[in-house]
Amino acid sequence: MRKCKIFVGNSHPELGNMVCQRLGIEPAPCTLKKFANGETSVQIGVSVRDEDVYVIQSGSPSINDDIMELLILVSACRGGSARKITAVIPQFPYSKQCKMKRHRGAITARMLANLLVMAGADHVVSMDLHASQMQGFFTKPVDNLYGGPSLAKWIRENVEDYEDAVVVSKNPGGTKRVTALADSLKINFAMIHTDRRRSKDLYSQNKDLQQLKLRKQSMLRKNRPIIRQGDHPNEEENIILSNGIQTARIRNGHVIGDDEADDDEDAILESDSELHSIDGLDSHGLGGTYDAVDSEDEEEIPVLYREQLITLVGNVRGRSAIILDDMIDRPGSFISAAEHLVQNCGAKKVYVVATHGIFTGDCLEELEKSDAIDTIVVTNTYPISGERIAGSKKLVTIDVSPIFAECIRRDHYGESISVLFDSLAAL
Amino acid sequence: MSMSNIVVFGGDSHPELVTKICENLDIHPSKVELGKFSNGETNIALRESVREKDVYIIQSGCGQVNDTFMQLLILISACKSASASRVTAVMPYLCYSRQPDIPYTAKGAPIISKPKENYTFESHPGTPVSSSLMTQRPGAESSLKSLDSAIRSTINLENPQPIRTPNSSATANNNFDIKKTLSFSRIPMIPGGKLQNTSNSTDAGELFNAQNAGYKLWVVQAGTLIAHLLSAAGADHVITMDLHDPQFPGFFDIPVDNLYCKPIAQNYIQHRIPDYQDAVIVSPDAGGAKRATAIADALELSFALIHKERRSQLLKGPPDATLTSGGSLPVSPRPLVTTLVSSQNTTSSGATGVAALEMKKTTSTSSTSSQSSNSSKFVQTTMLVGDVRNKVCIIVDDLVDTSYTITRAAKLLKDQGSTKVYALITHGVFSGDALERIGQSSIDKLIISNTVPQDRTLQYLGKDRVDVIDVSCIIGEAIRRIHNGESISMLFEHGW
Repeated sequence: MRKCKIFVGNSHPELGNMVCQRLGIEPAPCTLKKFANGETSVQIGVSVRDEDVYVIQSGSPSINDDIMELLILVSACRGGSARKITAVIPQFPYSKQCKMKRHRGAITARMLANLLVMAGADHVVSMDLHASQMQGFFTKPVDNLYGGPSLAKWIRENVEDYEDAVVVSKNPGGTKRVTALADSLKINFAMIHTDRRRSKDLYSQNKDLQQLKLRKQSMLRKNRPIIRQGDHPNEEENIILSNGIQTARIRNGHVIGDDEADDDEDAILESDSELHSIDGLDSHGLGGTYDAVDSEDEEEIPVLYREQLITLVGNVRGRSAIILDDMIDRPGSFISAAEHLVQNCGAKKVYVVATHGIFTGDCLEELEKSDAIDTIVVTNTYPISGERIAGSKKLVTIDVSPIFAECIRRDHYGESISVLFDSLAAL
Repeated sequence: MSMSNIVVFGGDSHPELVTKICENLDIHPSKVELGKFSNGETNIALRESVREKDVYIIQSGCGQVNDTFMQLLILISACKSASASRVTAVMPYLCYSRQPDIPYTAKGAPIISKPKENYTFESHPGTPVSSSLMTQRPGAESSLKSLDSAIRSTINLENPQPIRTPNSSATANNNFDIKKTLSFSRIPMIPGGKLQNTSNSTDAGELFNAQNAGYKLWVVQAGTLIAHLLSAAGADHVITMDLHDPQFPGFFDIPVDNLYCKPIAQNYIQHRIPDYQDAVIVSPDAGGAKRATAIADALELSFALIHKERRSQLLKGPPDATLTSGGSLPVSPRPLVTTLVSSQNTTSSGATGVAALEMKKTTSTSSTSSQSSNSSKFVQTTMLVGDVRNKVCIIVDDLVDTSYTITRAAKLLKDQGSTKVYALITHGVFSGDALERIGQSSIDKLIISNTVPQDRTLQYLGKDRVDVIDVSCIIGEAIRRIHNGESISMLFEHGW
């Protein structure tokens, strides 16, 4: 590829080198280091005048250092008279801060977009942005690639009886991502919802024990789709019903069994006091968006939420459950969802599948220890150390460097990259 | 506290709301001349001084959207030129805030629902429902796209650089091969032997798709542009309500206060819906699951979810011809047309020869399977997740434009045994024949806010079937607090 230079940053050199191998070129030489006072130093060892420059830098545990390195690299290439600079960011940092979760919170992803454009980036390539609307943060073109086809390919090849599997979303916000994958694989989906304000099972369906038994019997019968005429003569409509709702209680991040279902007097009193405290917290939490209280960032959960109600809407009995999210950074919600699926909803196997494997702290080790989780599948957009990969029995890493290589090649030659959004042949 | 430093202008998109908001604030709307020149240009003249004043311009993004938006921009610019100290745009319904990434017709149905003479890879997008938050777009026909990509990679392998002056004899040879294969592959596909003339197609998008297989129709998303236009006109602050996407404030460089209709909606459910304790909150599509569960949690109700997807049924035939495993490609005679059409753009005779050979083999294999199979149908799958039998259902949505999604959801709920269906909506735009569709639908009662004028809705559906929720108190209280520099967090829980 003539007049093209690819710089690989320090955050994820393995991915960058694999991309360069696929493209058949060497990474452009550059010196990235830190001065003694902590400042980042960048020296470009080759002329970039009138070149098409690609800078590959992903999110990483040292997130702020690598962001500064990316910005300084882009600025250096801009100063070196590069014709076009493309920032290739497989996992966009701060992507969870893409909306105001608190009324006075910062939309840091938008600020980061401004910083990139100001540094001189002309184009941005990323994968599975936390929300596709984040493309609107940039005033430059953004190519949001998808990890879904890679995950779908792995599921089709490795999950036994994948035609009967169910893709599960562990919170209402991820339902759209889950339905997209379920549609591509032509399988069913389900949703898990955890209500931090309900500490008791208040669903009317479960008040009557007799009715509960009848519903469980009806769920055992296999649901067959209702077929009828669609809108046009050559269309037919299949209606698939999943009317099961199963709830359980969570304490300290784990599902409580049925034998602990009896509430004593003290527990009820504690629940009442918790409700008062939660009411006070709600007024602040609701200052942001609908999901401010159901924040995906579990670090915000105070210890007051000792007991929650977890609900599965859908049917996974006797099937494999695939918990899908765009990133795995904290283990709590995955473990509680998997335990609920296995212990109460009769799931045969549980796969935890995501695009970005961030694994904050001891997240990977906690997921390994859970008996309910069989396999953890992530792509290699985020660097995971070799020791953790070697020490893990459940972790499967999918290589997505061919997708980025093909995107860079097509972008360099001005070709359309629409085929990358759906095709599995890019692998 | 004194409100002497505040000035409220109202555009002409929603004068009733302007009046109600000013009543809440106990002030009079300031005078402004809103007109048009004979050449169609918008004419604005401020009739009151705004020097060093805090100006609020109330304009909803409805009616003639582009006229009202230009009016808002010119009003903002006029106030800035007249030395206003701060200008706040109050847009209860922000136009262009819903950014679909799938093209759809005026009726609201996805554009792929029409039968096509040419088969294209884009016939089956992942989700027909317009989804702005989709982060994955895997298609149902990814294997067929693999075939196209395989051919492309073959071409790229032999010719990394495009040849701009093709050999004339090679071109003639290409045409001969293409024509021969076309005539051969079409006969088994068409029952009765009727030959379709694809050149008669009047669908420009369809022709575009046929010529550029693998390219997706790209729908422009104007949200960032709207944000930049408001900032460029001089707006210092924006107040809106129930934005479709929570990321939308990130498009702006100025503060955006996104108010919520949710407290008033919850109040309505508790006080106006009989036996609401056993009701089910339903989201009509996957994107609204978060909104539905938020209301269900606040009221301790059950919830359900509806999802629609349009797929193509794979042809039935001999097992060796219709393998569905990931290791091989399913064989279908219909994509050959697209492949052949795309091959016309190939200038390399060698690559075309290879592709033609592959297609000939595929054709000979598929002719057997196509003889024993019917023409493929578009199968539309609907999923209803949750129990709605013998229950009152409350469909919650933030924006209804063509009412395509919500009427289908109501029909499905009634078919599955729901006793009563309410539709609780924030922004009721109701463009085109949406009101007729709702009139004939299974929705028993429509509850809608007045962020958009609802006179036509009340007139068409009658007062028994429509309840209009007044949001002017929320907006008025927000303006008062913003003007006084107070916090508006309390609005999000109690409403006012």
